[in-house]
Amino acid sequence: MIVLLLLLALGAPQGKPLSGAELDQKTYEIASLLRCPVCQGMSVADSPSTVALDMKAHVREMLSRGYTQEQILGYFEQSYGQFVLLKPKFRGVNTLVWILPILVLLGGAAVVIATARRLESPPAAESQPPTADPYISRVRDLVEKE
Amino acid sequence: MTATLGRFLILASVFVSAAGSMVAFAAGRKRSLDGLKMARRFAYGFAALMVLATIVMEFALLTHDFSVGYVAQVGSREVPTWVTIVSLWSSLEGSILFWGLVMGFYIAGATWLTRGQHEEYMPFAIGTWLACATFFSFLIAGPANPFLSIPNPQPDGPGPNPLLQNHLLMIIHPPFLYLGYVGMTIPFGFACAALLRGRLGHSFLRPLRSALLLPWIFLTIAIMLGGWWAYEVLGWGGYWAWDPVENASLLPWLTATAALHSAIVMERRGVLKGWTVTLVQASFLLTILGTFMTRSGVFNSVHSFTQSSIGPTILVFFSAALLFTVVLLALRVDSLESEGKIDSAVSREGMFLVNNLFFVLLTFTVLIGTCFPLIVEAVKGKQMSVGRPYFDSMVVPIGTALLFLIGVGPALPWGRATKQQALRSLSLPFVSGVVVATIGYAAGARNPWTLLTLLFGGYAGWVTLVEMWRGGTKTLRRGRRRFGSYVVHAGAVIVLVSIAVSSTMRTSKEVRLTRGEAANIGPYTVTFLVAEERTEPHRQSTIARFAVTSNGKAVTTLEPRMNQYAMMREPIGTPDVHSTLTRDLYLSIMNIDPNSQTVGLMMIITPMVSWIWIAVLMMGVGGLIALIPVRTPSLVLREVKDPLGEDAIPV
Amino acid sequence: MNRTVLIVGSAIGLALVAVLFLSLGNDPSHIDSPLIGRPAPPFALKAINTGEMIDIARLRGKPVILNFWATWCVPCYQEHPVLVENAQRIGSNVQFVGVVFNDSEDKINAFLRQRGSAYPTLLDEQGKTAIAYGVGGVPETYFINPKGVIVAKFAGPMTTEVLQANLSKAMQ
Repeated sequence: MIVLLLLLALGAPQGKPLSGAELDQKTYEIASLLRCPVCQGMSVADSPSTVALDMKAHVREMLSRGYTQEQILGYFEQSYGQFVLLKPKFRGVNTLVWILPILVLLGGAAVVIATARRLESPPAAESQPPTADPYISRVRDLVEKE
Repeated sequence: MTATLGRFLILASVFVSAAGSMVAFAAGRKRSLDGLKMARRFAYGFAALMVLATIVMEFALLTHDFSVGYVAQVGSREVPTWVTIVSLWSSLEGSILFWGLVMGFYIAGATWLTRGQHEEYMPFAIGTWLACATFFSFLIAGPANPFLSIPNPQPDGPGPNPLLQNHLLMIIHPPFLYLGYVGMTIPFGFACAALLRGRLGHSFLRPLRSALLLPWIFLTIAIMLGGWWAYEVLGWGGYWAWDPVENASLLPWLTATAALHSAIVMERRGVLKGWTVTLVQASFLLTILGTFMTRSGVFNSVHSFTQSSIGPTILVFFSAALLFTVVLLALRVDSLESEGKIDSAVSREGMFLVNNLFFVLLTFTVLIGTCFPLIVEAVKGKQMSVGRPYFDSMVVPIGTALLFLIGVGPALPWGRATKQQALRSLSLPFVSGVVVATIGYAAGARNPWTLLTLLFGGYAGWVTLVEMWRGGTKTLRRGRRRFGSYVVHAGAVIVLVSIAVSSTMRTSKEVRLTRGEAANIGPYTVTFLVAEERTEPHRQSTIARFAVTSNGKAVTTLEPRMNQYAMMREPIGTPDVHSTLTRDLYLSIMNIDPNSQTVGLMMIITPMVSWIWIAVLMMGVGGLIALIPVRTPSLVLREVKDPLGEDAIPV
Repeated sequence: MNRTVLIVGSAIGLALVAVLFLSLGNDPSHIDSPLIGRPAPPFALKAINTGEMIDIARLRGKPVILNFWATWCVPCYQEHPVLVENAQRIGSNVQFVGVVFNDSEDKINAFLRQRGSAYPTLLDEQGKTAIAYGVGGVPETYFINPKGVIVAKFAGPMTTEVLQANLSKAMQ
């Protein structure tokens, strides 16, 4: 009865109720996305603290009633704030943390291509001319082996 | 008296390193050989003072002299002697002293190994080293002073943090980490020397590279030890959580690895000098940033020391060093470039560029992810988290791409690859990749990234083995750098594959057992025998004993425990692990009631995880092989004291 | 002078150093509650010491001090006398409610018998109410105004000063 009251704010479950191995698996998945509020950075799935165990049980119950991942994560976000979500939501200023690495990749790739072009010599201009000098060829051999 | 002696030694080291630094820089400006000789003496002097100060501290610890501040903090008559010895690095003040000791060894070693050589660079290098030494001596003398005098000493002390006492790995992880971190100061000095001098000659490349490789080896192993310790001690069954302090140890490793690779292109072709130097500077700066992250208390982490005045001080040094580096690079980096070229981007050289791109991308991503919660809090006042799911989604694709590169890079020739060569480099090893991926699929791997990792791993592994085989013992004797690097690559391939397999193919089961009951997981049957309580001076433990059998045959007995430490609010579990080459069985207690003899148990089977520790050790060995200098018989390649010849790049 | 190096280096360096300096005063373990300014999550539990059913929605009209605690929590021992004393003083104008989670009725009753009780104590068996309120650890206390809106949250053992300061917020 108390649970129904608490979940009133959430509205109706939008998915189908889970059970068995699927329930276990999904509980673990969602618990891995929630941050244990008392531990230093551990997920609810990994933490042995009392709060984390309660949260994991709550996730399990919500899943068995058919609540979806979004609804469950939203519920915890309501009580604990964004702090509890280990995967930053793609919303507002948080989009930056997802976009910046991609920008670095694209920018870096551009730099690499430009650098390669700058360093490249035109073909056949600097290939080593063959030599009859045994000393030089011995030197080349030794250098190639490095 | 001991405290006063210690303080005196530290203050002396502040003066000696500051004076030595100034003498060295002046000697560099004036190109004075006498000045260099004097600077080297100051360098040895700093090292000697650090050794003496450490001896004084260990003496105080071992004689339980509680009139010395640090001993009063971590000393205890009740702990075993080896704990007393290693408590030198168990807490903040002692660990900074330890940092100074390692720095002393490195500076003295590097000064001695370069005696009579590179006289144009060494004054600047020594000047830079001693400037860093001045800062750390200042830290030990002031904000992180372990030699405070306690006027009315207690008869006994609390002992070091109990969490740090219960495992061998916790003893060796800090020294390895410091040997890695502090060691980055030496190549930093060499890089600054090249920039200050305005050139980076070919003969100086080898000392720069060796100076980078040695701390890299230590850091590689240190990171692994940290992960292994987290796995064996923390109880959640994993080895890497992307915790800020873990990331702090990884960041300099990433840039140092990139630098080691671009240094090869630098040596072969004379290009990328400025870039390699930048990476070396970055590796040093990231170690300072890393120590700030660990000690400032600003980051939410399992490992954090509590906040103290040392945080701001380190940040000021970091900012100053960063400013100095940026300005120095802006002014001098262009003078380093020589007229080298590469033939084509489709070549081994090109692959090195791509390698650097990925490593730098990894560095940025880990840095952004770690600092992002701080940014949001500073800008918007809200708290948010960037945790494991974020890092895993970002790092896995990049890591997989790097694995592919380990295969492609060595398969392509130097210079220019023809189309046939490129295709040939991909085809046969690719078959081996398909074979490995198929075996993985048959063994149950379904995660697409894991299958891709197996495919690339088989491919890269084949290429690496073939290259090692081709060289044979001749390469081991004469081309040790190349052979060593292939050993490192082989290790890296195994590490990446093992990480993929151990994270995606683990199975876990949570059960509730009463005495005598058993549960099955994988091939094992785990029977709960008994729960008993044990009281130790610093903690109250409840131990659960389990018998592990497989197919009816006894395998082992495991005893995970739940510890309630006097100083901590929540109990902390210690798991017990049965490791084999194929898989680990990991038992961790969630909750336990000795009165009713029931236990909530987490059982985890993690395949291939032991291979991670073994393969990283392999990487360390490969690095060592590459480090041992090769005696070349050729006249051209031997060190010649010819001031003009040092810029000559071999044909 | 290489302009690119100067600009890129300064940009990254300044941003990094600025963020770190700004963060120096932070306490990373202190987390703001998102519920401040929002209606108190509804719940109804039976008080184990008085036997009455407490429905938080029915408590409107008076400010409410909602205290989460447990018998296994050491700082809770410290704050209990403070709460009892204040409840005896102002309990007619302010509704004190205690919620215990992850505990047993016997232990709670023993605790209250030993240390006194002056207001209803509810048992939240699986911690679901605690989760709804975003409780991370114990003790944590919520201050709710007569309209049912949470105005403040305090983590840690309660003292009379803190209680009065936050109570005046609830009375505005």
